[in-house]
Amino acid sequence: MTANIGILSYGIYIPYYRLKTAEIAHVWGKKSEDITSSLGISEKSVAAFDEDSVTLAFEAASDALIRGNISPSDIQAILVGSESHPYAVNPTSTIVGEFLGVSSKYLAMDLEFACKAGTSAMIAVAGLISSKLIKTGLIIGSDCAQAKPHDILEYSASSAACAYILSDNSSDNLAQILEVTSVSSDTPDFWRRDGVRFPSHGGRFTGEPAYFHHVELAARYLLEKSGLKPSDFKYCVFHMPNGKFPRLVAKRLGFTESQQRPSLIVDSIGNPYSASSLLGLSAVLDIAQKGDLVFVVSYGSGAGSDGLVIKVNKNPLKSARNFNLRVLQKKYISYIDYLKFATRI
Amino acid sequence: MNVSILAGATTKFGELWSASPRRMVREVVDLVRAQSGLSLAKIDGIFVGNMLSSSLGNQDHLGAFFAEELGLNVPAVKVEAACASGGMAVHLAFLSVLSGRYKNVLVIGIEKMTDFKPETVNNALMGAGSDPEREAGATFPALYALIARAHMEKYGTREKEMAQVSVKNHYHASLNSHAQFTRLITLEDVLKSPLVASPLKILDCSPLTDGAAALILSSANDKKGVSFVASAVATDTLGLSQRQDLTSLKAARLASRQAYTQAKVTPNDIDVAEVHDCFTIAEIIAMEDLGFFKKGEAAAAIFAKKTWLGSGRPVVNTSGGLKAAGHPVGATGVKQVVEIFNQLTAKAGKKQVKNARIGLTHNVGGSGATCVIHILKRN
Amino acid sequence: MLSPVKIWRNQKKIRSLLNKNGEILSFTKVYVPPAGFEAQAPYVVAVAKLDDKTRIIAQLVEWEDQDLKIGKKVHTILRRTKDPGIEGIIPYGIKLKPLD
Repeated sequence: MTANIGILSYGIYIPYYRLKTAEIAHVWGKKSEDITSSLGISEKSVAAFDEDSVTLAFEAASDALIRGNISPSDIQAILVGSESHPYAVNPTSTIVGEFLGVSSKYLAMDLEFACKAGTSAMIAVAGLISSKLIKTGLIIGSDCAQAKPHDILEYSASSAACAYILSDNSSDNLAQILEVTSVSSDTPDFWRRDGVRFPSHGGRFTGEPAYFHHVELAARYLLEKSGLKPSDFKYCVFHMPNGKFPRLVAKRLGFTESQQRPSLIVDSIGNPYSASSLLGLSAVLDIAQKGDLVFVVSYGSGAGSDGLVIKVNKNPLKSARNFNLRVLQKKYISYIDYLKFATRI
Repeated sequence: MNVSILAGATTKFGELWSASPRRMVREVVDLVRAQSGLSLAKIDGIFVGNMLSSSLGNQDHLGAFFAEELGLNVPAVKVEAACASGGMAVHLAFLSVLSGRYKNVLVIGIEKMTDFKPETVNNALMGAGSDPEREAGATFPALYALIARAHMEKYGTREKEMAQVSVKNHYHASLNSHAQFTRLITLEDVLKSPLVASPLKILDCSPLTDGAAALILSSANDKKGVSFVASAVATDTLGLSQRQDLTSLKAARLASRQAYTQAKVTPNDIDVAEVHDCFTIAEIIAMEDLGFFKKGEAAAAIFAKKTWLGSGRPVVNTSGGLKAAGHPVGATGVKQVVEIFNQLTAKAGKKQVKNARIGLTHNVGGSGATCVIHILKRN
Repeated sequence: MLSPVKIWRNQKKIRSLLNKNGEILSFTKVYVPPAGFEAQAPYVVAVAKLDDKTRIIAQLVEWEDQDLKIGKKVHTILRRTKDPGIEGIIPYGIKLKPLD
């Protein structure tokens, strides 16, 4: 497909605070074991009152620039995917660009497609590079997710950001994007009306007709297009709305537990929406060796799935900035602190 | 040419709900008029010290505002230097008389701080600092708390030594009929009071106060009176973070050095002083900046009552200072001069320092960006 | 509402202070906040000296008690600073985070 387009660097940001499933369950009179067994989530990351999708995106992007030793002036496009952009009108991408110190000669764009806005941004920038409109572009998936009190989403909706710098520099790129697919339909499983604070969803409708249908469709399409089988891949990454769905869909598609295990960031931080699949991929890239193939399928409610086949070109450098080490820098908070933080300044 | 003080007066300081700024100024001007025997028609100019009229009261053009109130058409202007507005108004009035252009000048210090709730007033007071300080939520107590912690780290100053400043000033204020707080407090009271910005507690901090003060300055030769032997001002960085040393106010060191030179005196010659104790640590640092004690030694000296009425010299803050007499921001610098004037003319009543001949006032704006020092001498 | 023009003019200065290391020169925990900061209290304000000798004053976030000491190493980060109200432009600025 698209020759020489790949990942030059990546960066992550995970907020410091964590809220345990047990803490939330206790507030609503539920048994925490019931929730953890049905949802497969034990704690989630919580943004502080002075953080938002802009600040998270900035920190992840800074991380990517530093890790790759890349000058901000090289960035020719910034695409930020989120479902919690602080403004309905006023792009997150330009605010982040300004603080990163990129020059003015770049294309900035904000995306929204529920949890797949980050992977869609990656496909868009890959397209810009492929058409030679740009050589280097930055994509970020960033979210500070909110959920209605007592809603089941309260246990999973979390906050984080993940950034990728893509380029046409095949000798410097850490990994190459070999194949891309995407499927879309109008499936109203989860949504948020303009001006409304918390999202709404269709309950169990979010399962088979929504998540599973689109992920499986995009995955099969990706395998067909690339001519590969699940056993050809060293790792797989699926969007993680909870701990159950990605494990089930991987099994159904024929992937094994060990292929999936490194990507399961949901186990430590819950579902950071647009950053979910991207962070799962980053955790894999932290350990993947040269030659490894990675299978990625995201999911965005509304609905659709993006699929990517990624080939790793370099062995990883051990870094204190890796997901598994960064995620350990955390502090548990109470439900009361969680409410206090939700009153964002 | 000598610039003398013909009269000085203050209102009571406190939460004066029914007293408007106009009323307070009229009261205090009536007092100085009566004291000096000078009719208002002889006033050549008015300097008004005030900080918050604009940000809280939407009133600029304060000079004209009060000239009208007093029925005068003379030059009148608001002088603003944050908490040193009063002292600065006195300084400019002094210069105007010294120039020979004005013969008799009225100085008014006025502040109304209880028309809005404390959070709003504290927010307005942050106008005295820098933008980064406002962005960080650094209130006045927070800025002086930063200074206190640095002083504690460098010199081993202890919280109870800071508390003692408050105890002393409350004791002095108990002898002052115009003070906001006249009750005595103990070290325990201060140490147990709620934290405002660590390590400063509520009883380490001066209150929000309404009040007015006035002076008449004149070039008329007044053999029985008090004259200025020094009036000096210095400025330093607006923001605390830009200071070279967090444990000393450079503006105070510079201004006081100039003042001692102008007056041809040394710290040893000062009998009585009013210093800017917006927070207890500020008085400790003032004693060091003004040369009364060596760096790091003032806290222990104050604790040992070296500056108390009856046992010390110089006696510091006989009015009760800002902490106990109250701190109507724009009025404080003028009130300090009134207190020294009263001390030097033996009119200080129960808080009289025996044989006070030379007095000093130290008025600070913000966290030390402006410092105004006056030295007064009995003629 | 904060001035969008002032926020815009301030951007370069903020950018020049981001991602820098430094150490605490002094700190305080503010228990009595001014208007606009009520929901944040208590919060910590610190004066810090950055490695390039610049000095700044900013809030310290995500600290533990043992981080509150003079000399503690810190790092500058981007955070929301003041409450923009429901319709104002959001001011972003510098805060400090302890370095492990």
